[in-house]
Amino acid sequence: MAMAALPISEAASVALSPALERAASRLASIVGPRAILSRPSELVTYSADGLPFYRKRPALAVFPETREQLIAVVRALAEERVPFVPRGAGTGLSGGALAENDAVVIGLNRLRRIISIDPENRRAVVEPGAVNAGLTRAASEYGLHYAPDPSSQTACTIGGNVAENAGGPHCLKYGVTLNHVIALTVILPDGELVSLGSTEGERDGYDLLGAFVGSEGCFGVAVDVTVRLVKNPESVRTLLADYTAIVDAARAVSAIIASGVVPAAMEMMDGPTIRAVEASIYAAGYPVDADAVLLVELDGLAAGLEEDVALVERLCREAGARSVRVARDEAERARLWQGRKKAFGAMGRISPDLVVQDAVVPRTRLPDVLAEIHRIAQETGVLVCNVFHAGDGNLHPNIAYDARNPEATARVHHAMRAIMNACIAAGGTITGEHGVGLDKLDYMPLVFTDDTLDAMCRLRDVFDPERRANPGKVVPVRSCREWRMAPNTRRGELPA
Amino acid sequence: MTSSDVRDAVRDATAARAPLRIAGRGTWLHAGRPVNATRTLSLSDLGGVVHYEPGDFTLTARAGTTLGELTSATLPHRQFLALDPFGDPSGTLGATVATAASGPLAYAFGGPRDNVIGLEVVTGDGAIVRCGGRVVKNVAGFDLTRLFTGAWGTLGVITEVSVRLRALPAVDETYAMAVDDRPDQLSALIAALRVASIAPLAMDLASPLLASRVGAGSTTTLLVRLAGNAASVRAQRRVLDTFGDVHDMPVDVWNIVRTAEPASAIVARLSARPSRMASVWTDAREAMAGVPGAMMIASVGRGIARCVLPETTPDAARRLARCDATVIFEQLPAALWKEIAPSPVSDRLSRDIRERFDPAHVLNPGVLGEAVAP
Repeated sequence: MAMAALPISEAASVALSPALERAASRLASIVGPRAILSRPSELVTYSADGLPFYRKRPALAVFPETREQLIAVVRALAEERVPFVPRGAGTGLSGGALAENDAVVIGLNRLRRIISIDPENRRAVVEPGAVNAGLTRAASEYGLHYAPDPSSQTACTIGGNVAENAGGPHCLKYGVTLNHVIALTVILPDGELVSLGSTEGERDGYDLLGAFVGSEGCFGVAVDVTVRLVKNPESVRTLLADYTAIVDAARAVSAIIASGVVPAAMEMMDGPTIRAVEASIYAAGYPVDADAVLLVELDGLAAGLEEDVALVERLCREAGARSVRVARDEAERARLWQGRKKAFGAMGRISPDLVVQDAVVPRTRLPDVLAEIHRIAQETGVLVCNVFHAGDGNLHPNIAYDARNPEATARVHHAMRAIMNACIAAGGTITGEHGVGLDKLDYMPLVFTDDTLDAMCRLRDVFDPERRANPGKVVPVRSCREWRMAPNTRRGELPA
Repeated sequence: MTSSDVRDAVRDATAARAPLRIAGRGTWLHAGRPVNATRTLSLSDLGGVVHYEPGDFTLTARAGTTLGELTSATLPHRQFLALDPFGDPSGTLGATVATAASGPLAYAFGGPRDNVIGLEVVTGDGAIVRCGGRVVKNVAGFDLTRLFTGAWGTLGVITEVSVRLRALPAVDETYAMAVDDRPDQLSALIAALRVASIAPLAMDLASPLLASRVGAGSTTTLLVRLAGNAASVRAQRRVLDTFGDVHDMPVDVWNIVRTAEPASAIVARLSARPSRMASVWTDAREAMAGVPGAMMIASVGRGIARCVLPETTPDAARRLARCDATVIFEQLPAALWKEIAPSPVSDRLSRDIRERFDPAHVLNPGVLGEAVAP
């Protein structure tokens, strides 16, 4: 759960354990001395991810540049039995890429090649550090794109997306990362190289690929990733509906889903978000007096699309929209989206710190849950901005605050927990796309039974029996059966 | 019957060292692989919809609920579960998920792994595991849902399944077109269809025998299912017309396709990257040449050919096994499994998963061709 950022000492050097000393010199000989960082000042960047709550400094950070180097790095760490944390661009929002001071960060951002694009079969093979938006750019000459589009897509990596099973606005129609990964080559924590999934047709047997996607760096490191590419739609239409009551906007979402039209994306922003966006350089022309706006994108074949646009427009109005605007051209469409994509940045303007939260509720519960979040915000006196994937019921209640004020910070934490409890009570879950990481460990027992958490521990132990890969994340250590049965043993002290 | 009864049965089996064969209704999708079991655990009494909120487009049902019962529950709300595995509607949801069985609609909607959002499972050590949830987007914890999907019951007995549903399209039409299936012609046709302005729910190539069963003539036939609003389907139909002589088919054609296989047939799926579809089709056709009753249906967008042979033709099955494709047998005479269908779970990770989820080997031992302790 959230805690205040801890100051990290800026000592010039820190004594490493003998195993880490040995590992450091072996890693340096693999990647060269310039591709390994060990001084605290150099490691600052690798001491946080996109969530501001946590800071943890790794012992070392190493940056392999080739597949062979990556494999050699993981094998050296296996031989020295040193824990490690794979890291892409560090844009994650759950503290998942942070490492304790006994662990090595393996930075994958230099392994960024797009190895091949096969337009005929609509797929690409990339290195784990390839940037999401870069893949779409490379695929565009074939009229294709990579569909999952997290807000951080201009920076985040495909390897990180695989680790988190990342989503994004267009996952409503096109599916999340899992639905787009065909095959992986993975180096397991013990140094074994395995191929999961298949590039040559179906793969029989246990769905190890499905198990690996979303495993948050706990099952190994992807060496290469084969992904599906999607044909660019012939036509795209974007609508903006504005509402004086957010529950009306939520009703419009339900009506559109029920109509059978599957929008490419259906995003909602509430009043505080709208006003933050409009006061920023990302102003998109949203009505600042609205309680909510709904951004609906329809795409696909040109034929029949106008009929769907007309239907969605009618449903938006029937739910009480004050106005519905259909973007006339690509420039207007891009502007409408810019406000959505840059909403987090815009909110960053209104206060020094921002907590981006992630939860999912059944779509029919959106009106109740939004009302409950509003009530919690008022009761705790915090500013909650809601900007989220309404079509999936994937909420992002974000709280803007000043972390230097301990009293305000405490209220933020109280509000966050209350919001999460409300989402769980509505039949929802604690994360739709950001992952559990460090941030949501304590919420796991609220949605899963002991037996289920233990089953997750067992699965992890298949891939990483020593629990050296991203230790201490995803499943709380106390949930693992051998820990529960023998809490006083040394083995029980291993991180989950 | 409840999940606790299933748990008790699994614990009893462990205590008695009496392995279980896990069955849904036992009417279809029976694995041909010999299972080394002394008892059968039937889930046919574990049926019924547990939770269905139409506005959420999600449904939770017990594993023994049949696909037909699900259709009856969802149809009044103009919704459907987009899983159409081969077999008749008396097959169960649990069996569909356990075998990761899919059908023609997988082209547009994916298979069970893409449509199942949560499971309740009794693992081999008698624990009740509830993974995933009832929401359509969920990354909380390691993905046990995917692990159990397609595991053939060897890691746990599926007792409850949550799925996402889809809205019935306003218009749903199926068209048939005779095609020239010589390799070059077929290859060119498939390539052209893949870039055409159509977005089919299903697009399958049926061999002449199967085509005649559905009343589409007696040559190799392409079946295309188009859906959406009326304007969209009309326009797509016009695009299809540019490829050949297109006939309207009753939408029921898909049910005939799914139930055309004799219960005892040899069934193999041959797959490759989609661009090799024509070559896989040609190889499979040659492997089955001259076999009376042989049929084939291929999901051309996915690059998967489903081959059906009479059980009395092991040599044709052997020829299929040697084709240049990924060959997965769904059903074979008992004696042939060892010879031509290697176990897909013999790798270190899979063996270890099995040990950790079914340590006493009481769940469907042998069904995946794995070595079974005597």
